[in-house]
Amino acid sequence: MYRYDEFDAAFVAGRTAQFSDQVKRRLSGELSEEQFRPLRLMNGLYLQLHAYMMRIAVPYGTLSSRQMRMFAHIARTYDRGYGHFTTRQNIQFNWPRLKDIPRILEELASVEMHAIQTSGNCIRNVTADHFAGAAADEIIDPRPIAEILRQWSSLHPEFSYLPRKFKIAVTGSPNDRAAIRFHDIGLQAATNAAGDIGWEVWVGGGLGRTPMIGKLINGFVPNEHLLAYLESIMRVYNRYGRRDNKYKARIKILVHEEGLETIKGQVEAEFAEVRGGVLTLPQEEVDRITAYFAPPAFTPQPATRIDVAYESIIDPAYGRWLDNNINSHREPGYASVTISLKPVGGAPGDATDKQMDDIADIAERYGFDELRVTHEQNLVLPHVAIADLRAVYDALVATGVADGNNGLITDMICCPGLDFCALANARSIPLAQEISRKFAEPARQAEIGDLKIKISGCINACGHHHVGHIGILGVEKKGGELYQITLGGDATEQAAVGKIIGPGFEAENVPGAIETLVDTYIARRQSADESFIDAYRRLGEAPFKEALYGTA
Amino acid sequence: MEILTGNELTSGGTVYLDAQNTWVEDLQAARVFGKEEAAERDAALAATKATGRIISVEAEEVTQDQGRIVPKRLRERIRAAGPTAPLTLNGEIYDRQHLDEDGHVSI
Repeated sequence: MYRYDEFDAAFVAGRTAQFSDQVKRRLSGELSEEQFRPLRLMNGLYLQLHAYMMRIAVPYGTLSSRQMRMFAHIARTYDRGYGHFTTRQNIQFNWPRLKDIPRILEELASVEMHAIQTSGNCIRNVTADHFAGAAADEIIDPRPIAEILRQWSSLHPEFSYLPRKFKIAVTGSPNDRAAIRFHDIGLQAATNAAGDIGWEVWVGGGLGRTPMIGKLINGFVPNEHLLAYLESIMRVYNRYGRRDNKYKARIKILVHEEGLETIKGQVEAEFAEVRGGVLTLPQEEVDRITAYFAPPAFTPQPATRIDVAYESIIDPAYGRWLDNNINSHREPGYASVTISLKPVGGAPGDATDKQMDDIADIAERYGFDELRVTHEQNLVLPHVAIADLRAVYDALVATGVADGNNGLITDMICCPGLDFCALANARSIPLAQEISRKFAEPARQAEIGDLKIKISGCINACGHHHVGHIGILGVEKKGGELYQITLGGDATEQAAVGKIIGPGFEAENVPGAIETLVDTYIARRQSADESFIDAYRRLGEAPFKEALYGTA
Repeated sequence: MEILTGNELTSGGTVYLDAQNTWVEDLQAARVFGKEEAAERDAALAATKATGRIISVEAEEVTQDQGRIVPKRLRERIRAAGPTAPLTLNGEIYDRQHLDEDGHVSI
């Protein structure tokens, strides 16, 4: 993992001191709220419905046990004993008090963390494939480049007042687990004809009120020119991005309105100016950063084969966990483990202080001290010896996070919704709870197979509803809540935006509507191997629409 | 009919202006401004802003049902009561935020 050098440490310490002074001056009345608000938003401090909310950056979703324990400590000491992991691989605390913020930031800095770039119109915390550095299918570990992007973008003076926020995601695998086509810039590792590894650059993707799939602006940018190329995109966006209307200010609108070729021409012109200049990445610097992400000291493992069918008979819950929550590792004898934060009836993405402490212990004991946060609001132990899986499972059972439902219908993305969020129009969490209860039966979940439900409580789409196989969007109608259902969204390399298939539903009717859709899928699928999304693509919306709304 | 609501500076907790010009936690203690009291409402808003201690101040429409104040918007009903999601943490339900000991604000 990356460790702060003297510059990082000084930068975070300086920023913590600066914001602490600003908080002090706000509490003394020296600063008005009008003056303070933009400052707190530059430091991840929002005001929500019931209290402040603090969002802490987890760079590219990677953290150590020590950092996880700090989250547990903050939850216990300054909040209400839990934290909420987000779709941007960050963590949010929903109940901090303003006077405690300086101390929280000091504590975070002590474990090389902060809350910068989690708010405001800047380049936000970079996100990445949660199996980075571990996945068997990866071309290259994307974290060194993600770390270089973090250093380049942190408080970048030219890009601190962009037209709107800017999100970058990176994956080293052709199987996109980081939703890169739905980011302002998405980077995917690629190999050129000479066998060199570089980056496909996708631009203008996003969700929100105007969902767009990113467009390929450059099929191969070598490492050494990546910063110059990205800076060129940022300059074009900073210059031409709309500032007259915040709803049209994201780069996706610029790319859409001007056309990819126009933007590409402008980027290439800028790139021609800056290429080969100060932003050229020396290989030795790439190597230096890459060294931080050297694989852990894997030990040769004895051939360990787990008979999942047998285990499923002996201990069905363990069998389900093996079936669903294990990902292939590039190192023989190892696997990556997804820790589900989606218990039936729970709030997706929430973990208690005790659970965070326990998970940190498990990572330390069995996982080379490393953890990941996924954009699907789960956690990952990236490196676990297959021989240790049973012990890890037992430890997860003991702390209540051993649900074997990764990728299944109860593994929903869900925004905080109107229970917490000042922007929301409708509640999300109670709906997720109801849906998970309706489909709680493990055999039913297994029968349905892979199915991604994503729930947002407003059009800003923090719950990624546009890319849910089944998406649910809460809207306000006549003072109440109404939920629109979309079908066919996909956040992967087969990117698709879901389509609204008919009028919305009252909250109490949504779980039933989901069941109707699921039953329609099961009745129409070619076999159990045809997933919901594949069946939808083959069948189109008609049978689902008819099942929900009749033939009239 | 309207009430004035906002969030107290140090705790961020939801508060209401009461009839004694104090910002309090209890929705039912809120002063209800009739249509003819727009000037008083605006004066209270201005005085509140001058304290700098209550943020995100808004006038919210309410009705009265058997003497109880009921905000028209669901959002406001949730702000008054706390999160509705039936969740428990360490055996306790999600409660609304309460004011700090130094959260007393009058205008």
